[in-house]
Amino acid sequence: MRAVGSSIPRFDAQDKVTGQALYPGDIHMPGQLHMKILWPDQVPARITRFDVSKALAAPGVVAVLAADDVPVNEYGLIMPDQEVLVGRVGGLVRSIIDQVALVIAESEEQAEAALDLIEIEYEPLPGVYSIEEALAPEAPLVHPEKGDSNVLLSYRIRLGDVEKAFAEADVIVERTYRTHPQEHAYLQPEAGLGFVRPDGKIEVIVGGQWMHEDREQIAHALALPEDQIVVRYPPIGGAFGGREDMSVQIVLALAAQKTGRPVKIQWSRGESIRGHHKRHAMIARAKWAAAKDGRLLAAEIDVSTDAGAYAYTSTKVLGNLTLACLGPYEIPNVKVDSRTVYTNNIAAGAFRGFGGPQGHFIAEMQMNHLAEALGMDPVELRMKNLWREGSRLATRSVLPPGVTVRETLAACARDAGWEETDAGWQRPRVEDLPAAITPVHRAFSLDAAGGRKARGIGIATSFKNVGFSLGYVDESWATVELHGAGAIERVVVHHAGADVGQGAHTVMRQFAADFIGVPLDKIELIADDTDHTLNSGSSSASRMTFMAGNAIRGAAEEALRLWREEEERPAIATYRYVPRPTTPYDPETGEADPNIAYGYCTQAAEVEVDLDTGHITVLNLWNVTDVGRAVNPAMVRGQIYGAVAQSIGWTLLEDLKYDRGQVLTDRLSTYLVPTVLDTAIHIAPDFLENPDPQGPLGARGMGEMPFIPTAPAIVAAVHDATGIWFDELPLTPERVAMRLKEVGIEDQD
Amino acid sequence: MKPPPFDYYAPDTLDEALALMAQHGYGAKALAGGQSLVPTMNFRLAAPSVLVDLNRIPDLSYIRLAPDGGLLIGAMTRHVQAEKNPKVADKHPLLHATMPNIGHPQIRNRGTLGGSIAHADPAAELPALMRAVQGRIKAQSARGSRWIPADDFFQGFFTTALAEDELITELHLPPLPAGSGWAIEEVARRHGDFALVGAFAILHLDGAGRCDHVRISLFGVGDGPMLATTAMGVLRGEKLDDEAIATAAEAAAQKDVDPPSDVHATASFRRHLVNVLVQRTLTQALARAAGQEVTA
Repeated sequence: MRAVGSSIPRFDAQDKVTGQALYPGDIHMPGQLHMKILWPDQVPARITRFDVSKALAAPGVVAVLAADDVPVNEYGLIMPDQEVLVGRVGGLVRSIIDQVALVIAESEEQAEAALDLIEIEYEPLPGVYSIEEALAPEAPLVHPEKGDSNVLLSYRIRLGDVEKAFAEADVIVERTYRTHPQEHAYLQPEAGLGFVRPDGKIEVIVGGQWMHEDREQIAHALALPEDQIVVRYPPIGGAFGGREDMSVQIVLALAAQKTGRPVKIQWSRGESIRGHHKRHAMIARAKWAAAKDGRLLAAEIDVSTDAGAYAYTSTKVLGNLTLACLGPYEIPNVKVDSRTVYTNNIAAGAFRGFGGPQGHFIAEMQMNHLAEALGMDPVELRMKNLWREGSRLATRSVLPPGVTVRETLAACARDAGWEETDAGWQRPRVEDLPAAITPVHRAFSLDAAGGRKARGIGIATSFKNVGFSLGYVDESWATVELHGAGAIERVVVHHAGADVGQGAHTVMRQFAADFIGVPLDKIELIADDTDHTLNSGSSSASRMTFMAGNAIRGAAEEALRLWREEEERPAIATYRYVPRPTTPYDPETGEADPNIAYGYCTQAAEVEVDLDTGHITVLNLWNVTDVGRAVNPAMVRGQIYGAVAQSIGWTLLEDLKYDRGQVLTDRLSTYLVPTVLDTAIHIAPDFLENPDPQGPLGARGMGEMPFIPTAPAIVAAVHDATGIWFDELPLTPERVAMRLKEVGIEDQD
Repeated sequence: MKPPPFDYYAPDTLDEALALMAQHGYGAKALAGGQSLVPTMNFRLAAPSVLVDLNRIPDLSYIRLAPDGGLLIGAMTRHVQAEKNPKVADKHPLLHATMPNIGHPQIRNRGTLGGSIAHADPAAELPALMRAVQGRIKAQSARGSRWIPADDFFQGFFTTALAEDELITELHLPPLPAGSGWAIEEVARRHGDFALVGAFAILHLDGAGRCDHVRISLFGVGDGPMLATTAMGVLRGEKLDDEAIATAAEAAAQKDVDPPSDVHATASFRRHLVNVLVQRTLTQALARAAGQEVTA
């Protein structure tokens, strides 16, 4: 049996479901100290008094560390624009994400008690708490040292002549869209352990997404060579982009170095919500034009995102968003202006989709508005404009081969009841769709049949880049060892890719088994720490299957050659996979070959709207993602279910509320993530397998794609049900009900 | 977080439990299903010095027919037992319809009816149900026992008429008047969450088709379960139609409630939901009173 293509059980499943797996929070060492973080309670503010002497004298306290204790007090994945610790007289607090000081004590209670003994006073400063405030003339600056504007970075794309196209167009749709932040809400809040090893190296056990990058940032802040730092990842309690930046990594290493003892930290849920970045909030104005026959003529978009107080990956997210806001369409005239701006909110950064969800909310909402304005079926309109093999992007480069967005749209539309007729694609009538509610759901009055209800159906499509973009030289290292005498008895694979819960380590074993031609049980994977692996890059950008597969293939082929031709025993080969190069945006025109490869996904949603309470029930969610090759079909479906649940949460439920930089929803009782009953009643997790020529055995990345089209598909379905467009997320019952009350609606019965 | 240290007793008899409550007074808390108390202790919002675990006491879990045709329910009866009990489905369809709205199956497997009523969460279903049906709560202490009408039992935000040495041992749910109609509806942000707004309606028509009995009980909109007395006054003695119901619902929303704003909903949305749910529950109750089948 070939391993690739089989739904073999994850090798870590049993340990995880029986509670045997040890996550960072579960790992302890004898003699360990406990660390607590002093968080700021005013933002933005200048620290005018800072005295730790009482805290240092408190029972059990071993150390209190602040800004002056950090050798190089700066860090950041893209640029070092954040201090590790801000606690000092004159220190500047920009956001509640800042860490002021560390208290390290014999017990957690002693550390907690000593936090209150740190004497600190703040001078409040004027702040900016939204994109509009940040861009206003004379706005207070979040980083005054960075010049006279809060704009962190801007991009532009210019193609053709949009003004001429608008003048000649039959139909123009101009709208304003707003999307909101999202919290990752992974199961395990940040936790870890730092200690000095007998060999003198500092080891940090933590959950992350890119252990070599963690190591680099720790080494930089501690002013140590990288080889003096070891980062180890045990099982990780979810990530979704939220562990791509530093949280507890640097402070654990610092505390271990300063105290010489093992130091443990465990964040509460409230600390996790305030202490790591969020999905970017976005505001966009979009003006698109089409001819009567549905051909897109022009797209003009002005879009801004809220980066929060620090860069994190905001510039990279903006790079993706700048392309995603045009959708997977051939548009001859394009004008995009995009920017990301500092505010005094929690920093924003990586989150599943990485600008794709916001960008496609613009593009797909525009397409749905245009279909209505043209009186054309939304599938038919898309089919007239979608990318094909050989299409050019607005950045003038040709798409890499394997363009299958049309295939996903056709398959999904058919699943949802569309028909391709002589007159083109035609949407199903809602009354022809089968009833979808099962009795178990009708037991809840939230979904009960009473009251005025309306059903509707909507569709949206999307693309997502696989791998890092816009000129970044991406790489993935793997080492393969073949042990044995006559036959290969044992295979050891070294690969640093993080298994953040998506199953990457199972996928790597499957690839290795097939590339080497041995059964799975002969494969041993070493993926735990930076001492025994080389850099494999981040578990993000839907890149790990694609990159790890290619790297392991390269190492396996070379090791097999050494085994056969050189008869080496053991045969050991190391391989660095570097995908085809990409290029950054030209600053004036946006010309670029932005991405290595793409994945495609279409979704259709059928909803029921309670016209009085505003509650939306997603009856059906049909998904079709082209995964190229399903390495493990069960895990592919798991990713689809998970992405859809998370995306429905973003669309309907999750609502991070701020009051002047303070987050009001820092508990899972106030920041509501969907339970299984709140996702969709039926999710069809379908996928296609059109190979990507660059992918290992044809595989494409797929972890982010099923997040991206959900929101515009649901909004289109709500419009179908009610006749009302909601251009702002989330569709909370309050927003929907109040709008329905204001606008009024013809009873659908 | 974990709770601060406390003493733990697991008495085998009710008398022992009552003696412990008398001995420890205000510092003692009774542990029933633990679905509210334990999280509250873990968040250190409550820090009792003594826990008196009632789970080993026999004979506090039962559902019996009362002499008046209603139900007598032991305080330690789990939600799931009421949910699945055929006597409840037969004799008290409103209680039967209420149960699936309480939390999730995991919560209903452990949570108890007595515990929920003693906790008196303003957004919980059972306290409001007890007011709707004019139920009674039996409070017992080492000093003796007494029946407290639901209308007197709930006294404010998580506050009841129970003395510090008293335990709830039994609930009495009188039968609905013969031929009356009933309904429950609630809206939460998620399935199983506490309600943003919930409503019970019970009504009965006289021979001339006029409303001679009506109870509208609301939850999630005040500091405890509350009756929509103005709305009830609008309906009493009237022939009921859509217009009368709409007037009553408007009165409930505008005059009977003064709901809070929080991160889940504004006060004005809660007022809107009161209007919607009172209208829906009255419409369903009227249909049932008129002998029509209603699928909720």
